[in-house]
This record gives sequence, structure tokens and C-alpha cells, in this order.
Amino acid sequence: MIEVQDLRKSYDTFEALKGISFSVARGEIIGFLGPNGAGKSTTMKILTGFMPQSSGTVRVAGKDIADAPLESRARMGYLPESTPLYGDMLVYDYLKHSAVLRGVAKGDLDRKTLSAAKMCGIADRVGQKISTLSKGYRQRVGLAQALIHDPDILVLDEPTSGLDPNQIVEIRNLIKRLGEDRTIILSTHNLPEVMATCTRMLIVHNGQLVADGTADELEARENANQRLRAAFRLADTTPAELASKLSALPGVAGVTADDHASDRDVEAAAHLLIDIEPGVDVRASISSLAIDEGWTLLELTRERVDIERLFRQLTQEV
Amino acid sequence: MRIKPIWAIAKRELGFYFNSPIAYVVITAFLLLCGAYLFIFGKGPDGQTFFDGDVASMRLLFEAIPVFFIFLVPAISMRLISEEKRSGTIELLVTMPITDTEIIVGKFLGGLVFIGIALVATLPLPILVGTLGELDLGAVVAGYIGLLLLGAAYLGLGLMTSVWTQNQIVAYLLGALLCAFFYFIGGMVESVWTGAQDTVAFLSFESHFTNIARGVIDTRDVVFYLSMTALALVISVQSLQSRNWK
Repeated sequence: MIEVQDLRKSYDTFEALKGISFSVARGEIIGFLGPNGAGKSTTMKILTGFMPQSSGTVRVAGKDIADAPLESRARMGYLPESTPLYGDMLVYDYLKHSAVLRGVAKGDLDRKTLSAAKMCGIADRVGQKISTLSKGYRQRVGLAQALIHDPDILVLDEPTSGLDPNQIVEIRNLIKRLGEDRTIILSTHNLPEVMATCTRMLIVHNGQLVADGTADELEARENANQRLRAAFRLADTTPAELASKLSALPGVAGVTADDHASDRDVEAAAHLLIDIEPGVDVRASISSLAIDEGWTLLELTRERVDIERLFRQLTQEV
Repeated sequence: MRIKPIWAIAKRELGFYFNSPIAYVVITAFLLLCGAYLFIFGKGPDGQTFFDGDVASMRLLFEAIPVFFIFLVPAISMRLISEEKRSGTIELLVTMPITDTEIIVGKFLGGLVFIGIALVATLPLPILVGTLGELDLGAVVAGYIGLLLLGAAYLGLGLMTSVWTQNQIVAYLLGALLCAFFYFIGGMVESVWTGAQDTVAFLSFESHFTNIARGVIDTRDVVFYLSMTALALVISVQSLQSRNWK
């Protein structure tokens, strides 16, 4: 759907993008990740045609956006950072106005305006002036105008920034639902958000792509060990015994105490982090060991990819 | 250029003007100013007020409105693009599947309709004058057409300065300055350098309006205002596109 090749952008002397290449297939939800100033917004502004690249090419549906700017823009819906909207307009009027500009046929205007409003959960607010809306509702109006013409591609620059946790979950679910039949590129510096919504992530740092893949792929690539979190009741055993016997299991690379365990029963239980070798699942052997030894296994979870650690590794200034 | 997006943008601008009290205040103030000037404090070149003379004519007012417009028209045009830049909505606007030309023409059209409405609001004045004496209807129609043309040229200049900045006040001041410059350039140069008078008079908005105020529409004047407007719009489109310069 989108192919980006060796994208570069310089502002005067500052090089914001230093050659980024990636491609996005239909139906993917891409999380564009990176610290502030990494080049996320710049890439999105180029993709949507707000400004041109210094060099490199962007193809949308096989066509260079420089050759067919209107065609590629018509395929896209864009929600810029900080959601700029016309505050003096009513929600309905604004959405309809956007629909006309985005090329919706005259006969479909009212129907599409209402269905976009409904999809974004603002159907009961269409008569309200945009400037009187809360941040969360403004964000939804921004989303609604981006998808009003039913585009193949949605480009969302920090769609959940500034929202409260409930609103974040709502927007996230909306994005997931939208992503079922569309290509979505969203930028964020919020890591859990990417984990929760995206099928793939691109991490940019200093204008360069430092990682590209699903969460699992990225972890495999970085060769970070998989981890289990386990808790055993202390009444049956001691931490030292646990550590030595667990370490002896095949596939276990190391056992350490989990300092971050926040449970109240920290006195009564031993919380452990069990590092395991890549590609091995030792959960079964741990539980049978516990049965054989007469330990009470209170908790055993596989830690999901430690994306925060990975993110910090990849984007730390050297 | 497609009519649909152009009209959508023009309509949005008109909605902005007329959904707030500003438009009504401005139009009322303009009407009062025009009425007061025509009947009370306006004086012709011979020092006579409207009632000193014995002719029912709009000429006094038609000669003054180009000066009023120097203050009014940039106030209409100042926000057209600069406000989009300041609030960031420009990013959405230019990434819509529409061309920069359609954006500029749409914005221009919105402002032009506003000027048209302001002029229509002054129509009670010629009607009033008509009840006082024999009014030359042709001269009035010519005068209004001329004012709309002149207003379009001012609006083009104002829109152009609005593309150049994200500050409405700067856009207003620059716009008013440019309008004043092109209006008074004839008179200014005339007094210091008579040799260049003809050339400069050609560029002056005022000299092209003298015929119109008398009730004569000359093709040369019409072409002049239309080309000035077109030139300003072309520069506006180029300025808007300058974000694309690598």
C-alpha cells in the first residue's frame, strides 16, 4: 500500500530524516515509535503531502505521491498532531465541510457524515460548537474527519496524546476496529499503546529507522532473553532452595528475585524472575518440579516483550 | 479548478464571518460611515457638500469608498490564510485532495462575497438620493461594478499578505499599506516627478477609478483591475506553494 524509500528531509542545516525506508501492506496497523524529535511527524507530513521530502520517494498504491498528489491524498485520511480544527464551526457542519473537500459525492454527504460521527461516538454531539468540546471529543472529531471518505489509509499523528485513560482505551479500540479493513499508521511515544493496538512497529531515532517488525520479531532480533515471572509460597520452601533447583532445570538461564513485585503478600511469597533460553518453554517443567518438591506455585506468567527496555536500548544517545 | 471545493471553502469563510457578530458590526459601521460621508461631512474638490450642490449624485461617495476600502478590505482578508497557519488547520487544508489554487480561489471568493454584501448594504443610499432628485441610474450601476472590481483587487493584495504571515495584524497592516500604496501612488509621484506621471498613473488604482466614479466603465480599467487581482492571486498560490521548495 505504501512504499517509502530512502526518505530524507533537511530543515536548513538540521537533518530531520536521514534515509528512512519501509513498506506497509494493506490491513496493517503500524506503530511509529520514537522519542520526541525523532522524525515521526516529519515522516507523516511527507506521507500526507503537507511538505515534500528533500530526497527519496514515497509510493502510495504504486504511484509516486509527487506525480499524483491529489490521488494519493484522496486515498488518505490524516489527523495531524494536536488536532487542529475550526473551533467556530458546529461538529456536523465541519464534518460535512471536510467530506466535500475530501471528495464525497453530494448524495452521500449526509449519510457519510452521520456514519463517521456514529463510528467515532460523537453522534450526540454533532450540534455542538467544536470550540466547546473537551479534548477527547475534539480528538474524535479529528478522527471522524479523517475517515469520513472511507480512505484506504489513515495517518494519525499522536491520536491519544492528552487524553485521559478511559478516552485512550476508547480511541484505541476505535483504531483497532478501523484497522480491520484499512492500513493505519499511527505515531506515538506511548509504548503500551503500540503494544495494545499495532500489528507492527517502526522505531525511529535521530531520523533513522532503528527497528522494524512485530513485537516478537523485534525481541528475537535483539536477542533479549525471554522471561517468566513466578511466585511461590514461602511456607513450603526458601528462596535459596528455589533458586538453586530452578536454575538446574534445562532451558533456564538464570533466576533472580523480582524487586518490582508489588503484591502485598511479598512477605509470604518468593517472587522470582526466571530468564530462559530463546525458543524454549519451561513452564511445564517448572510446574511439575513444584509438584514433585511440594511447593505451592502461586503465580507463573510469561512476561511479554519488554518493549520499554528495547525502546530505551535503541533510542539512547550514545 | 473545480467549483465544488472552491465553493465549500468560500462557504466556510462566509460562515465564519456571519456566525459571529463581527460581520454585522462591520457592515453596519460601513453603512453609517458611507451615509454620514455622503450627506454630512463629505466635500467635493470644489469644497461643496452633498446639499451645497444641486445634483442628486453618488459621485461624492464613490470617490471616497476606495479610501474606506483601504481600511475595510484588509480586515476581511487578513485572517484568510494567516489564521489557518497560526492554528495549524493549514496542515489539514493543504493535505485535502484539492489544489492550492482551489484553496486560494475559494478563500478569495468568500471574501469577495462579503465585500459584495457590504456594498449591497449601502443600496439604501442611492435609493434615498433617488428620492431627492433625478439619479443617473447608469452611473450608479457603473460605480458599484467599479467598486466591486476595486474591492477584488484590494482583496487579492490582502489575501497575498495573509499567505505571507501567521499573524493577522501583520497581514492587515501589510495589506492596508499595499492597498494605500497602489491607490495613492499616482498622486505621490505626480507631485515630485511629472515625467513618470503617465507610467505611474497606469499603475495607480485611483486613476483607474476616476472614470468609473464619473459613471464611465472603460474596458482598460476593467482589464487593469482584473489583471491586478489575477496577479495577486497567482502570487498568493505561489507563496502558499513555497512550502514545497526543497
